[in-house]
Amino acid sequence: MAVKITYANTPVSRLHPMTKIMAILMLGLCALVWPDFTLGLVLVIALFVVSFVARIPSDFVKIMFGFGIPVTVMLMFIQGLYSPKNQTVIADFGFAQLGLEGVLYAAKIVMDLLVFLGSFTIMSKTTYTGALVAALTSAGLNAKAGYLILASLNVVPQMQRRMSVIREAQNARGLSESGGLFSRLAAYVPLLGPVVMSSLTDAQERGMTLETRGFGITDVKQTSYVEVRWRTVDKVCNWVLVIMAVIVTAISVGIYIGVIPALTPWAGA
Amino acid sequence: MGAIVEVKDFSFKYRDARRRAVKHVNFSVEEGSLFAIIGANGAGKSTLCNALVGLIPHYFSGARAGKILVDGSDVADSTIAELSKTIGLVFQNPFNQLSYTAGTVAEELAYGLGNHGVPRDKMVERVETVAKLMRIDHILDKNPLELSGGQVQRVAFGSTFIMEPRILVLDECTTQLDPMGSEEIFDIVKKLNASGVTVIMVDHDMERVARYADTVMVLERGEVASIGTPMEVFSDDSIEQHGVDVPDYVSLSRALGGPIVITEEPAIEMAKEALR
Repeated sequence: MAVKITYANTPVSRLHPMTKIMAILMLGLCALVWPDFTLGLVLVIALFVVSFVARIPSDFVKIMFGFGIPVTVMLMFIQGLYSPKNQTVIADFGFAQLGLEGVLYAAKIVMDLLVFLGSFTIMSKTTYTGALVAALTSAGLNAKAGYLILASLNVVPQMQRRMSVIREAQNARGLSESGGLFSRLAAYVPLLGPVVMSSLTDAQERGMTLETRGFGITDVKQTSYVEVRWRTVDKVCNWVLVIMAVIVTAISVGIYIGVIPALTPWAGA
Repeated sequence: MGAIVEVKDFSFKYRDARRRAVKHVNFSVEEGSLFAIIGANGAGKSTLCNALVGLIPHYFSGARAGKILVDGSDVADSTIAELSKTIGLVFQNPFNQLSYTAGTVAEELAYGLGNHGVPRDKMVERVETVAKLMRIDHILDKNPLELSGGQVQRVAFGSTFIMEPRILVLDECTTQLDPMGSEEIFDIVKKLNASGVTVIMVDHDMERVARYADTVMVLERGEVASIGTPMEVFSDDSIEQHGVDVPDYVSLSRALGGPIVITEEPAIEMAKEALR
Protein backbone atom coordinates (compact mmCIF):
# COMPACT_ATOMS: atom_id res chain seq x y z
CA MET A 1 0.00 0.00 0.00
CA ALA A 2 1.34 3.42 -0.92
CA VAL A 3 2.30 5.85 1.82
CA LYS A 4 -0.20 8.66 2.30
CA ILE A 5 0.72 12.09 3.61
CA THR A 6 -1.30 12.85 6.70
CA TYR A 7 -3.07 16.17 6.43
CA ALA A 8 -6.36 16.70 8.29
CA ASN A 9 -8.78 14.68 6.21
CA THR A 10 -11.27 17.34 5.20
CA PRO A 11 -13.25 18.08 2.04
CA VAL A 12 -10.80 20.92 1.35
CA SER A 13 -7.62 18.84 1.74
CA ARG A 14 -9.11 16.17 -0.53
CA LEU A 15 -9.52 18.60 -3.40
CA HIS A 16 -7.10 18.32 -6.32
CA PRO A 17 -4.30 20.93 -6.06
CA MET A 18 -5.23 22.31 -9.47
CA THR A 19 -8.76 22.98 -8.18
CA LYS A 20 -7.27 25.02 -5.36
CA ILE A 21 -5.07 26.95 -7.78
CA MET A 22 -8.13 27.56 -9.93
CA ALA A 23 -9.97 28.82 -6.83
CA ILE A 24 -7.18 31.30 -6.06
CA LEU A 25 -7.27 32.63 -9.61
CA MET A 26 -11.05 32.76 -10.05
CA LEU A 27 -11.88 34.17 -6.62
CA GLY A 28 -9.12 36.73 -7.01
CA LEU A 29 -10.41 37.66 -10.44
CA CYS A 30 -13.97 38.06 -9.12
CA ALA A 31 -12.79 40.35 -6.32
CA LEU A 32 -10.61 42.36 -8.70
CA VAL A 33 -13.20 43.02 -11.38
CA TRP A 34 -16.09 43.77 -9.03
CA PRO A 35 -16.49 47.54 -8.82
CA ASP A 36 -16.41 47.85 -5.02
CA PHE A 37 -15.26 46.00 -1.91
CA THR A 38 -18.54 44.19 -1.23
CA LEU A 39 -17.91 41.01 -3.21
CA GLY A 40 -14.39 40.85 -1.78
CA LEU A 41 -15.85 41.11 1.72
CA VAL A 42 -18.34 38.33 0.99
CA LEU A 43 -15.54 36.14 -0.36
CA VAL A 44 -13.31 36.83 2.65
CA ILE A 45 -16.16 35.82 4.98
CA ALA A 46 -16.69 32.70 2.86
CA LEU A 47 -12.95 31.93 3.12
CA PHE A 48 -13.18 32.13 6.92
CA VAL A 49 -15.95 29.51 6.75
CA VAL A 50 -13.80 27.38 4.44
CA SER A 51 -10.90 27.64 6.91
CA PHE A 52 -13.15 26.12 9.59
CA VAL A 53 -14.14 23.31 7.24
CA ALA A 54 -10.44 22.79 6.48
CA ARG A 55 -9.68 22.72 10.24
CA ILE A 56 -7.10 25.48 10.00
CA PRO A 57 -9.04 28.39 11.60
CA SER A 58 -6.34 29.56 14.00
CA ASP A 59 -3.57 29.66 11.36
CA PHE A 60 -5.95 31.35 8.96
CA VAL A 61 -7.09 33.99 11.45
CA LYS A 62 -3.47 34.74 12.41
CA ILE A 63 -2.41 35.31 8.80
CA MET A 64 -5.50 37.26 7.76
CA PHE A 65 -5.47 39.61 10.74
CA GLY A 66 -1.70 39.79 10.91
CA PHE A 67 -1.64 41.05 7.34
CA GLY A 68 -5.08 42.65 7.11
CA ILE A 69 -4.96 45.01 10.11
CA PRO A 70 -1.69 46.82 9.36
CA VAL A 71 -2.45 47.02 5.63
CA THR A 72 -5.95 48.35 6.30
CA VAL A 73 -4.68 50.99 8.71
CA MET A 74 -1.93 52.04 6.32
CA LEU A 75 -4.20 52.25 3.26
CA MET A 76 -7.04 53.95 5.13
CA PHE A 77 -4.56 56.54 6.33
CA ILE A 78 -3.04 57.17 2.89
CA GLN A 79 -6.16 56.90 0.74
CA GLY A 80 -8.70 58.19 3.30
CA LEU A 81 -6.74 61.32 4.12
CA TYR A 82 -4.79 62.07 0.98
CA SER A 83 -6.54 60.51 -2.05
CA PRO A 84 -7.17 63.10 -4.80
CA LYS A 85 -10.54 61.37 -5.41
CA ASN A 86 -11.83 62.47 -2.00
CA GLN A 87 -14.92 64.66 -2.27
CA THR A 88 -17.23 63.52 0.54
CA VAL A 89 -15.82 64.29 3.97
CA ILE A 90 -16.84 61.79 6.60
CA ALA A 91 -14.59 63.03 9.42
CA ASP A 92 -12.61 66.21 10.00
CA PHE A 93 -9.50 65.93 12.17
CA GLY A 94 -8.50 69.52 11.75
CA PHE A 95 -5.11 68.80 10.22
CA ALA A 96 -6.70 66.53 7.57
CA GLN A 97 -10.09 65.32 6.40
CA LEU A 98 -11.14 61.71 5.96
CA GLY A 99 -12.73 61.24 2.55
CA LEU A 100 -15.34 58.58 1.76
CA GLU A 101 -13.98 57.87 -1.73
CA GLY A 102 -10.48 57.18 -0.43
CA VAL A 103 -11.80 54.96 2.35
CA LEU A 104 -13.88 52.93 -0.11
CA TYR A 105 -10.93 52.61 -2.47
CA ALA A 106 -8.70 51.45 0.39
CA ALA A 107 -11.38 48.92 1.42
CA LYS A 108 -11.49 47.59 -2.14
CA ILE A 109 -7.69 47.10 -2.30
CA VAL A 110 -7.61 45.46 1.14
CA MET A 111 -10.41 43.05 0.26
CA ASP A 112 -8.81 42.14 -3.08
CA LEU A 113 -5.52 41.39 -1.33
CA LEU A 114 -7.24 39.41 1.43
CA VAL A 115 -9.10 37.25 -1.10
CA PHE A 116 -5.80 36.32 -2.77
CA LEU A 117 -4.00 35.87 0.54
CA GLY A 118 -6.83 33.89 2.16
CA SER A 119 -7.33 31.50 -0.74
CA PHE A 120 -3.56 31.00 -1.08
CA THR A 121 -3.25 30.36 2.67
CA ILE A 122 -5.96 27.72 2.55
CA MET A 123 -4.28 26.05 -0.41
CA SER A 124 -0.82 26.04 1.18
CA LYS A 125 -2.09 24.79 4.54
CA THR A 126 -4.16 21.97 3.08
CA THR A 127 -1.97 20.80 0.20
CA TYR A 128 1.09 18.59 0.43
CA THR A 129 3.86 20.24 -1.61
CA GLY A 130 4.72 16.96 -3.31
CA ALA A 131 1.11 16.64 -4.46
CA LEU A 132 1.09 20.23 -5.69
CA VAL A 133 4.24 19.68 -7.75
CA ALA A 134 2.97 16.31 -9.04
CA ALA A 135 -0.25 18.02 -10.14
CA LEU A 136 1.60 20.90 -11.77
CA THR A 137 4.03 18.53 -13.51
CA SER A 138 1.23 16.37 -14.87
CA ALA A 139 -0.43 19.57 -16.06
CA GLY A 140 2.65 20.33 -18.13
CA LEU A 141 5.04 22.08 -15.74
CA ASN A 142 8.68 21.34 -16.59
CA ALA A 143 10.22 18.74 -14.24
CA LYS A 144 13.13 21.11 -13.55
CA ALA A 145 10.72 23.85 -12.48
CA GLY A 146 8.96 21.29 -10.26
CA TYR A 147 12.29 20.41 -8.69
CA LEU A 148 13.01 24.09 -8.04
CA ILE A 149 9.73 24.48 -6.14
CA LEU A 150 10.31 21.41 -3.99
CA ALA A 151 13.99 22.14 -3.38
CA SER A 152 13.25 25.74 -2.41
CA LEU A 153 10.67 24.63 0.13
CA ASN A 154 13.03 22.03 1.57
CA VAL A 155 16.04 24.29 1.83
CA VAL A 156 14.95 25.86 5.15
CA PRO A 157 14.62 22.66 7.22
CA GLN A 158 17.82 21.41 5.63
CA MET A 159 19.75 24.55 6.61
CA GLN A 160 18.24 24.43 10.11
CA ARG A 161 19.51 20.88 10.46
CA ARG A 162 22.97 21.86 9.25
CA MET A 163 23.00 24.87 11.56
CA SER A 164 22.15 22.73 14.55
CA VAL A 165 24.96 20.27 13.69
CA ILE A 166 27.49 23.11 13.36
CA ARG A 167 26.19 24.77 16.52
CA GLU A 168 26.55 21.53 18.49
CA ALA A 169 30.10 21.12 17.17
CA GLN A 170 30.99 24.68 18.14
CA ASN A 171 29.27 24.39 21.54
CA ALA A 172 31.31 21.28 22.22
CA ARG A 173 34.43 23.37 21.60
CA GLY A 174 33.40 26.11 23.98
CA LEU A 175 31.16 28.49 22.02
CA SER A 176 28.69 30.02 24.47
CA GLU A 177 25.21 31.09 23.42
CA SER A 178 24.11 32.29 26.83
CA GLY A 179 24.05 35.84 28.12
CA GLY A 180 22.42 39.01 26.83
CA LEU A 181 20.91 39.71 23.47
CA PHE A 182 24.15 40.92 21.90
CA SER A 183 26.23 38.00 23.13
CA ARG A 184 23.55 35.60 21.81
CA LEU A 185 23.59 37.34 18.44
CA ALA A 186 27.38 37.32 18.42
CA ALA A 187 27.29 33.56 19.01
CA TYR A 188 25.53 33.11 15.67
CA VAL A 189 28.20 34.95 13.67
CA PRO A 190 30.68 32.01 13.64
CA LEU A 191 27.87 29.78 12.36
CA LEU A 192 27.16 31.85 9.26
CA GLY A 193 30.37 31.11 7.36
CA PRO A 194 30.21 27.30 7.69
CA VAL A 195 26.46 27.22 7.01
CA VAL A 196 26.75 29.31 3.83
CA MET A 197 29.88 27.51 2.58
CA SER A 198 28.50 24.04 3.27
CA SER A 199 25.24 25.00 1.55
CA LEU A 200 27.18 25.96 -1.56
CA THR A 201 29.10 22.66 -1.47
CA ASP A 202 25.78 20.88 -0.95
CA ALA A 203 24.37 22.47 -4.07
CA GLN A 204 27.16 20.94 -6.15
CA GLU A 205 26.79 17.53 -4.54
CA ARG A 206 23.02 17.71 -4.97
CA GLY A 207 23.46 18.27 -8.68
CA MET A 208 25.62 15.15 -8.91
CA THR A 209 23.16 13.08 -6.92
CA LEU A 210 20.19 14.15 -8.96
CA GLU A 211 21.85 13.27 -12.23
CA THR A 212 23.00 9.87 -11.01
CA ARG A 213 19.34 9.28 -10.13
CA GLY A 214 18.16 10.08 -13.64
CA PHE A 215 17.24 13.75 -13.25
CA GLY A 216 17.34 15.40 -16.64
CA ILE A 217 16.56 12.39 -18.82
CA THR A 218 14.94 13.97 -21.83
CA ASP A 219 13.18 11.17 -23.67
CA VAL A 220 10.75 10.08 -20.93
CA LYS A 221 7.79 11.73 -19.22
CA GLN A 222 8.53 11.90 -15.50
CA THR A 223 6.10 10.18 -13.14
CA SER A 224 5.44 10.73 -9.44
CA TYR A 225 4.97 8.53 -6.41
CA VAL A 226 2.53 11.04 -4.98
CA GLU A 227 -0.93 10.32 -6.25
CA VAL A 228 -3.27 13.17 -7.08
CA ARG A 229 -6.79 12.23 -8.07
CA TRP A 230 -9.12 14.28 -10.20
CA ARG A 231 -12.58 13.53 -8.83
CA THR A 232 -16.11 14.58 -9.79
CA VAL A 233 -16.11 17.15 -7.00
CA ASP A 234 -13.05 18.79 -8.61
CA LYS A 235 -14.81 18.91 -11.97
CA VAL A 236 -17.88 20.50 -10.35
CA CYS A 237 -15.82 23.00 -8.34
CA ASN A 238 -13.87 24.07 -11.42
CA TRP A 239 -17.04 24.59 -13.44
CA VAL A 240 -18.69 26.52 -10.60
CA LEU A 241 -15.62 28.73 -10.26
CA VAL A 242 -15.40 29.44 -13.98
CA ILE A 243 -19.15 30.15 -14.30
CA MET A 244 -19.01 32.40 -11.24
CA ALA A 245 -16.04 34.31 -12.67
CA VAL A 246 -17.80 34.74 -16.03
CA ILE A 247 -21.03 36.00 -14.39
CA VAL A 248 -19.18 38.36 -12.04
CA THR A 249 -17.07 39.71 -14.91
CA ALA A 250 -20.17 40.22 -17.09
CA ILE A 251 -22.06 42.04 -14.32
CA SER A 252 -18.99 44.15 -13.48
CA VAL A 253 -18.53 45.16 -17.12
CA GLY A 254 -22.26 45.96 -17.26
CA ILE A 255 -21.94 48.21 -14.20
CA TYR A 256 -18.83 49.93 -15.56
CA ILE A 257 -20.46 50.75 -18.93
CA GLY A 258 -23.75 51.70 -17.25
CA VAL A 259 -25.93 48.92 -18.72
CA ILE A 260 -26.55 47.52 -15.25
CA PRO A 261 -27.25 49.94 -12.39
CA ALA A 262 -24.73 49.87 -9.53
CA LEU A 263 -25.83 47.45 -6.83
CA THR A 264 -24.51 49.74 -4.07
CA PRO A 265 -24.48 53.55 -3.98
CA TRP A 266 -20.68 53.63 -3.66
CA ALA A 267 -19.87 51.18 -6.45
CA GLY A 268 -17.15 52.55 -8.70
CA ALA A 269 -16.20 55.19 -6.18
CA MET B 1 29.89 -13.51 -20.02
CA GLY B 2 31.95 -10.64 -21.41
CA ALA B 3 33.25 -7.47 -19.85
CA ILE B 4 30.55 -4.95 -18.98
CA VAL B 5 33.03 -2.31 -17.80
CA GLU B 6 36.33 -1.64 -19.50
CA VAL B 7 38.78 0.95 -18.23
CA LYS B 8 41.50 1.62 -20.76
CA ASP B 9 44.62 3.53 -19.75
CA PHE B 10 42.52 5.97 -17.74
CA SER B 11 44.19 8.92 -16.02
CA PHE B 12 42.64 11.94 -14.37
CA LYS B 13 43.94 15.04 -12.65
CA TYR B 14 41.45 17.30 -10.87
CA ARG B 15 41.60 20.95 -11.83
CA ASP B 16 44.02 22.78 -9.51
CA ALA B 17 45.39 19.47 -8.14
CA ARG B 18 49.15 18.93 -8.07
CA ARG B 19 49.19 15.30 -9.11
CA ARG B 20 46.95 12.93 -11.01
CA ALA B 21 44.35 11.18 -8.85
CA VAL B 22 44.50 8.09 -11.06
CA LYS B 23 47.24 7.12 -13.50
CA HIS B 24 47.13 4.74 -16.45
CA VAL B 25 44.53 2.48 -14.88
CA ASN B 26 43.55 -0.57 -16.89
CA PHE B 27 41.03 -3.19 -15.87
CA SER B 28 37.81 -4.82 -16.97
CA VAL B 29 34.87 -6.12 -15.00
CA GLU B 30 33.05 -9.25 -16.11
CA GLU B 31 29.27 -9.01 -16.25
CA GLY B 32 27.69 -10.50 -13.13
CA SER B 33 30.91 -10.49 -11.12
CA LEU B 34 31.79 -8.77 -7.84
CA PHE B 35 34.81 -6.54 -8.30
CA ALA B 36 36.46 -4.96 -5.24
CA ILE B 37 38.69 -1.91 -5.25
CA ILE B 38 40.91 -1.49 -2.21
CA GLY B 39 43.65 0.90 -1.22
CA ALA B 40 44.72 3.45 1.34
CA ASN B 41 43.00 6.83 1.71
CA GLY B 42 43.78 9.02 -1.28
CA ALA B 43 44.60 6.05 -3.51
CA GLY B 44 42.03 7.16 -6.10
CA LYS B 45 39.19 4.74 -5.30
CA SER B 46 36.40 7.34 -5.13
CA THR B 47 37.78 9.10 -8.23
CA LEU B 48 37.47 5.84 -10.10
CA CYS B 49 33.89 5.36 -8.83
CA ASN B 50 33.01 8.88 -9.97
CA ALA B 51 34.54 8.19 -13.37
CA LEU B 52 32.62 4.93 -13.80
CA VAL B 53 29.23 6.66 -13.42
CA GLY B 54 30.21 9.62 -15.59
CA LEU B 55 30.66 12.24 -12.86
CA ILE B 56 34.12 12.49 -14.41
CA PRO B 57 34.21 14.18 -16.94
CA HIS B 58 30.63 15.53 -16.78
CA TYR B 59 30.83 16.97 -13.28
CA PHE B 60 34.42 17.17 -12.18
CA SER B 61 36.61 19.03 -14.58
CA GLY B 62 40.30 18.35 -15.08
CA ALA B 63 42.81 16.70 -17.38
CA ARG B 64 41.61 13.31 -18.52
CA ALA B 65 43.12 10.61 -20.69
CA GLY B 66 42.07 7.11 -21.70
CA LYS B 67 38.59 5.64 -21.96
CA ILE B 68 35.93 4.12 -19.76
CA LEU B 69 33.41 1.93 -21.52
CA VAL B 70 30.25 0.95 -19.70
CA ASP B 71 28.24 -1.67 -21.56
CA GLY B 72 30.17 -0.75 -24.69
CA SER B 73 29.53 3.03 -24.54
CA ASP B 74 32.12 5.62 -23.62
CA VAL B 75 30.93 7.43 -20.48
CA ALA B 76 32.23 10.68 -21.95
CA ASP B 77 29.69 10.39 -24.77
CA SER B 78 26.63 9.79 -22.54
CA THR B 79 24.99 12.03 -19.97
CA ILE B 80 25.07 11.02 -16.32
CA ALA B 81 21.28 10.70 -16.38
CA GLU B 82 21.42 8.34 -19.36
CA LEU B 83 24.14 6.29 -17.69
CA SER B 84 21.93 5.96 -14.61
CA LYS B 85 19.81 3.48 -16.59
CA THR B 86 22.77 1.09 -16.61
CA ILE B 87 25.00 2.00 -13.67
CA GLY B 88 24.11 3.20 -10.17
CA LEU B 89 26.40 4.70 -7.54
CA VAL B 90 25.91 4.57 -3.79
CA PHE B 91 27.87 7.47 -2.35
CA GLN B 92 30.24 7.26 0.60
CA ASN B 93 28.22 9.93 2.42
CA PRO B 94 24.58 8.78 2.39
CA PHE B 95 23.31 12.31 2.98
CA ASN B 96 24.69 13.15 -0.49
CA GLN B 97 22.39 10.55 -1.97
CA LEU B 98 19.20 12.30 -0.90
CA SER B 99 17.26 14.38 -3.41
CA TYR B 100 15.99 16.76 -0.71
CA THR B 101 12.74 17.05 -2.60
CA ALA B 102 10.94 14.18 -0.93
CA GLY B 103 8.69 14.62 2.07
CA THR B 104 8.83 10.92 2.92
CA VAL B 105 11.23 8.01 2.67
CA ALA B 106 8.85 6.35 0.18
CA GLU B 107 9.07 9.35 -2.13
CA GLU B 108 12.85 9.43 -1.71
CA LEU B 109 13.11 5.79 -2.77
CA ALA B 110 10.83 6.42 -5.73
CA TYR B 111 12.59 9.59 -6.91
CA GLY B 112 14.84 7.90 -9.49
CA LEU B 113 11.97 5.75 -10.75
CA GLY B 114 9.95 8.91 -11.37
CA ASN B 115 12.80 10.34 -13.42
CA HIS B 116 12.88 7.15 -15.47
CA GLY B 117 9.12 7.41 -16.07
CA VAL B 118 8.17 4.20 -14.24
CA PRO B 119 4.35 4.02 -13.89
CA ARG B 120 3.07 4.73 -10.38
CA ASP B 121 1.64 1.26 -9.67
CA LYS B 122 4.98 -0.37 -10.45
CA MET B 123 6.72 2.35 -8.45
CA VAL B 124 4.61 1.58 -5.36
CA GLU B 125 5.29 -2.12 -5.77
CA ARG B 126 9.05 -1.62 -6.03
CA VAL B 127 9.16 0.79 -3.10
CA GLU B 128 7.44 -1.79 -0.92
CA THR B 129 9.75 -4.59 -2.01
CA VAL B 130 12.92 -2.55 -1.54
CA ALA B 131 11.74 -1.10 1.78
CA LYS B 132 11.11 -4.60 3.16
CA LEU B 133 14.45 -5.82 1.89
CA MET B 134 16.27 -2.83 3.39
CA ARG B 135 14.25 -3.08 6.62
CA ILE B 136 13.00 0.47 6.30
CA ASP B 137 9.34 -0.38 5.70
CA HIS B 138 8.46 0.99 9.15
CA ILE B 139 9.82 4.46 8.30
CA LEU B 140 8.35 4.90 4.83
CA ASP B 141 6.20 7.84 5.90
CA LYS B 142 9.00 9.63 7.80
CA ASN B 143 10.84 12.67 6.53
CA PRO B 144 14.31 11.58 5.27
CA LEU B 145 15.83 14.59 7.05
CA GLU B 146 14.72 13.19 10.42
CA LEU B 147 16.46 9.83 10.10
CA SER B 148 19.61 8.55 11.78
CA GLY B 149 22.81 8.09 9.76
CA GLY B 150 22.29 4.32 9.53
CA GLN B 151 18.71 4.72 8.36
CA VAL B 152 19.76 7.27 5.73
CA GLN B 153 22.42 4.84 4.54
CA ARG B 154 19.77 2.17 4.04
CA VAL B 155 17.56 4.66 2.21
CA ALA B 156 20.52 5.76 0.06
CA PHE B 157 21.36 2.18 -0.87
CA GLY B 158 17.70 1.35 -1.53
CA SER B 159 17.19 4.45 -3.66
CA THR B 160 20.00 3.31 -5.98
CA PHE B 161 19.24 -0.36 -6.41
CA ILE B 162 15.48 0.28 -6.72
CA MET B 163 16.35 1.61 -10.18
CA GLU B 164 17.54 -1.89 -11.06
CA PRO B 165 20.87 -0.89 -12.62
CA ARG B 166 22.86 -3.66 -14.28
CA ILE B 167 25.97 -2.37 -12.53
CA LEU B 168 26.07 -1.19 -8.93
CA VAL B 169 29.03 0.87 -7.70
CA LEU B 170 29.33 0.95 -3.91
CA ASP B 171 31.73 3.55 -2.57
CA GLU B 172 32.18 2.52 1.07
CA CYS B 173 28.43 2.45 1.41
CA THR B 174 28.20 1.03 4.92
CA THR B 175 30.28 3.55 6.87
CA GLN B 176 27.31 4.72 8.99
CA LEU B 177 26.11 1.22 9.84
CA ASP B 178 26.95 -1.02 12.78
CA PRO B 179 28.62 -4.38 11.94
CA MET B 180 25.28 -6.20 11.93
CA GLY B 181 23.65 -3.58 9.68
CA SER B 182 26.66 -3.67 7.43
CA GLU B 183 26.41 -7.44 7.09
CA GLU B 184 22.69 -7.15 6.29
CA ILE B 185 23.48 -4.76 3.46
CA PHE B 186 26.12 -7.12 2.11
CA ASP B 187 23.70 -10.01 2.23
CA ILE B 188 21.54 -7.94 -0.11
CA VAL B 189 24.55 -7.12 -2.27
CA LYS B 190 25.29 -10.84 -2.50
CA LYS B 191 21.71 -11.59 -3.52
CA LEU B 192 21.75 -8.85 -6.14
CA ASN B 193 25.08 -10.15 -7.44
CA ALA B 194 23.72 -13.70 -7.55
CA SER B 195 20.76 -12.42 -9.57
CA GLY B 196 23.16 -11.10 -12.22
CA VAL B 197 23.89 -7.53 -11.09
CA THR B 198 27.54 -6.59 -11.55
CA VAL B 199 28.91 -5.08 -8.34
CA ILE B 200 31.95 -2.84 -8.09
CA MET B 201 32.68 -2.06 -4.46
CA VAL B 202 35.17 0.00 -2.53
CA ASP B 203 35.63 -1.36 0.94
CA HIS B 204 38.10 -1.31 3.83
CA ASP B 205 36.81 -4.55 5.34
CA MET B 206 39.31 -7.02 3.97
CA GLU B 207 37.56 -10.10 5.40
CA ARG B 208 34.49 -9.11 3.45
CA VAL B 209 36.44 -8.39 0.28
CA ALA B 210 38.23 -11.75 0.55
CA ARG B 211 34.96 -13.54 1.12
CA TYR B 212 32.73 -11.97 -1.52
CA ALA B 213 34.87 -10.54 -4.32
CA ASP B 214 35.61 -12.39 -7.54
CA THR B 215 38.38 -9.94 -8.41
CA VAL B 216 40.33 -7.53 -6.21
CA MET B 217 42.20 -4.51 -7.48
CA VAL B 218 44.67 -2.70 -5.23
CA LEU B 219 45.19 0.99 -5.93
CA GLU B 220 48.20 2.85 -4.63
CA ARG B 221 48.65 6.57 -5.30
CA GLY B 222 46.32 6.33 -8.29
CA GLU B 223 48.01 3.33 -9.91
CA VAL B 224 47.05 -0.30 -10.04
CA ALA B 225 49.43 -2.05 -7.65
CA SER B 226 47.89 -5.48 -7.94
CA ILE B 227 44.88 -7.18 -9.50
CA GLY B 228 43.64 -10.75 -9.35
CA THR B 229 41.49 -13.13 -7.37
CA PRO B 230 41.38 -12.47 -3.61
CA MET B 231 43.65 -15.43 -3.08
CA GLU B 232 46.20 -14.15 -5.59
CA VAL B 233 46.16 -10.64 -4.17
CA PHE B 234 46.17 -11.44 -0.45
CA SER B 235 48.68 -14.28 -0.65
CA ASP B 236 51.24 -11.88 -2.14
CA ASP B 237 53.77 -11.14 0.61
CA SER B 238 54.32 -7.60 -0.61
CA ILE B 239 50.66 -6.62 -0.56
CA GLU B 240 50.87 -4.72 2.74
CA GLN B 241 53.55 -2.48 1.24
CA HIS B 242 50.80 -1.00 -0.98
CA GLY B 243 49.04 0.46 2.03
CA VAL B 244 46.35 -2.18 2.50
CA ASP B 245 45.72 -4.59 5.32
CA VAL B 246 45.26 -8.26 4.72
CA PRO B 247 42.44 -10.32 6.24
CA ASP B 248 43.30 -11.56 9.74
CA TYR B 249 43.13 -15.11 8.42
CA VAL B 250 46.09 -14.41 6.14
CA SER B 251 48.16 -13.24 9.13
CA LEU B 252 47.01 -16.31 11.07
CA SER B 253 47.98 -18.73 8.32
CA ARG B 254 51.34 -17.00 7.92
CA ALA B 255 51.92 -17.30 11.66
CA LEU B 256 50.98 -20.97 11.61
CA GLY B 257 53.28 -21.53 8.68
CA GLY B 258 50.66 -23.32 6.60
CA PRO B 259 49.20 -22.54 3.21
CA ILE B 260 47.66 -19.08 2.94
CA VAL B 261 43.94 -18.95 3.69
CA ILE B 262 41.81 -15.83 3.25
CA THR B 263 38.42 -16.77 4.65
CA GLU B 264 37.00 -17.91 7.95
CA GLU B 265 36.19 -21.61 7.37
CA PRO B 266 39.61 -22.80 6.15
CA ALA B 267 41.25 -20.64 8.81
CA ILE B 268 39.25 -22.46 11.52
CA GLU B 269 40.21 -25.81 10.01
CA MET B 270 43.85 -24.72 9.96
CA ALA B 271 43.70 -23.57 13.59
CA LYS B 272 42.08 -26.87 14.65
CA GLU B 273 44.76 -28.77 12.80
CA ALA B 274 47.49 -26.75 14.52
CA LEU B 275 45.94 -27.43 17.95
CA ARG B 276 45.83 -31.21 17.45
